[in-house]
Amino acid sequence: MTSVDEYGVVTVAGRNVSRAQVEDFLYVEADLLDAWQLDDWLALFVDGARYEIPTTDYRGWSLHEGGSFVDDDYDLLRARVKRLKSRKAHAENPHSRTHRLISNVRAFAHEDDALRVTASFIVHRARDGQFDTYVGRYEHLLVPTDEGLRFRLRRSILTHEALPPGARLSFIL
Amino acid sequence: MPQAGRDGSATPMIVEDWDALTFRVNRAAYRSPDVFAQERENIWMRTWLYLGHESEIAEPNDFKVRTLAGRPLIFCRDTAGEVHAWLNSCPHRGTVLCRESEGSNKLFQCFYHAWTFRNNGDVAAIPDDAAYEGSEGLRESMKLRSVPRLEIHEGYVFVSFNPDVPPLLEYLGDAADYMTMIEQQHVGGMTTTPGVQLYSVRGNWKLAVENAMDGYHFSPTHNTFVGYLRESGFAVTDDDQYAYNLGNGHGLLVLTGHGGRISMIWEPRFGADEKVRTEEHRKEMLERLGEKRTHYVADESHILFVFPNLLLFDIEGLSIRQLEPVSAGQTDVRAWQLVPRNEDPAARALRMKTVVSFVGPGGLATPDDIEAYEAVQRGIEATAGDPRTGLDYSDMSRGMVDEVKGVQGRSIDEGAMRGFWRHWVGAVGIDGGLQVGGERPAAFLEGRDVR
Repeated sequence: MTSVDEYGVVTVAGRNVSRAQVEDFLYVEADLLDAWQLDDWLALFVDGARYEIPTTDYRGWSLHEGGSFVDDDYDLLRARVKRLKSRKAHAENPHSRTHRLISNVRAFAHEDDALRVTASFIVHRARDGQFDTYVGRYEHLLVPTDEGLRFRLRRSILTHEALPPGARLSFIL
Repeated sequence: MPQAGRDGSATPMIVEDWDALTFRVNRAAYRSPDVFAQERENIWMRTWLYLGHESEIAEPNDFKVRTLAGRPLIFCRDTAGEVHAWLNSCPHRGTVLCRESEGSNKLFQCFYHAWTFRNNGDVAAIPDDAAYEGSEGLRESMKLRSVPRLEIHEGYVFVSFNPDVPPLLEYLGDAADYMTMIEQQHVGGMTTTPGVQLYSVRGNWKLAVENAMDGYHFSPTHNTFVGYLRESGFAVTDDDQYAYNLGNGHGLLVLTGHGGRISMIWEPRFGADEKVRTEEHRKEMLERLGEKRTHYVADESHILFVFPNLLLFDIEGLSIRQLEPVSAGQTDVRAWQLVPRNEDPAARALRMKTVVSFVGPGGLATPDDIEAYEAVQRGIEATAGDPRTGLDYSDMSRGMVDEVKGVQGRSIDEGAMRGFWRHWVGAVGIDGGLQVGGERPAAFLEGRDVR
């Protein structure tokens, strides 16, 4: 590797992970979600992983102690995917059209075996004649595996002061 | 049935017919800006409104800023510990006084001309007040403006913009004891937590009330959530679930086949440790409350509606939901989790996960309720101004056939909704708003002995 290539490379658990790899992982994930390929999306999580969305008044407390929008352990995450694949998930039948933009991607070593990844997102959602915009940042924990990067924690933190009218979180943010 | 106009003004809002056993609500009630304006004036400006929970401002000098009935307020505890609701508007020129959403402050200073107020409402400083004639009198007349009435029941803080409103406990009536029952669940009582769900729905506020008082929707609307519960080993039934009108527009669903209750009714998805905690808590409750009261406090889930803006969900866990109508077609919603003050951390984590898995805009169930309000709000445009008689009305007749016989209404009937609408039509004060055909039963069933 040249010194230029080494810039933005994080080493965890003996593996080198570049920012480009992290970005590709996030872009692939965004495509899967926009295409509603939820089984493939769920496969991006390791067993025991979590999916969280804190409330808009969030100031760093544990979601185990207070309220949140989404506080899914792995069982609930699987239940959420199963629900969203059902025609009886009325809030998402028909599905929202979503389009996701991701930028400001950064990666840091986290403890011995994980990467802390932060990124900005804009998710556009069209449904029922309305067009909503969700803006915020991701704060994920990713682990490198033989199959590639995987989520240990997927966390979406909204910048909004409150969810705007109609902007529910019935899809994956 | 008379013909509905676009704004509903020329037609009855509610048409109940005790011969045909039908109850119909004019859809202009959800749609009309005129009705919304009348509600503001005759309901929201006249009755008690839920403002917040005392535990949100637990310490002296704590404050929250909150809009209620469209009016910006400061909900605070002063330095001496007293709870206040101030208009969030400088008495000088009307500027928003506090532009933070929450915090802790002894003083509120208006940025515009630096007028400064203590959190007990007194004027602390008016810069260069020698320029005024009689500055003492000026200070006295320029104290913070309060909401005229504030009373607290079991930590729930209610306010009224009407100085002449009757006492809170008189207004709450039978609803008050269901709030006490929540407080009695645990030694040390209950507190709200950080993590407030703030969201907004494109639907009329009364659709949110109906939805909460409507057990009929549960099975079809929450099909996927019921499926999740069933897979986790818990059977959900509609048996032994009843609806009560508590008077003054307040309503109650009593649910016993609906789901487990953290620390009170165990179910497999709660895990083995929670089973032990639940058994220990039961023993403690029996000693403290006796068998009968423990049964009503612990074994039943309750969904309580306090007219017009408070919903208490005492189900798997506890949530407080406040409705803030913004316009006929939009309602802001605020939801707090209510938890035992002294709770085992593992039980708290289970409680938070379980509650959020159901309620809120990111849960596995509430989004389908929101879909329902919004689909109704869009759908009722189809009949607006339709010249054909009776088309622009929604039907809430379910269970009248039992109601007329004096049989207790089930949660899957529409009796609690009818009780709400009967109170609403009187409170909103639309001339000729209610049309009654046939002979009304002498009394509607209300309340029950749970003490």
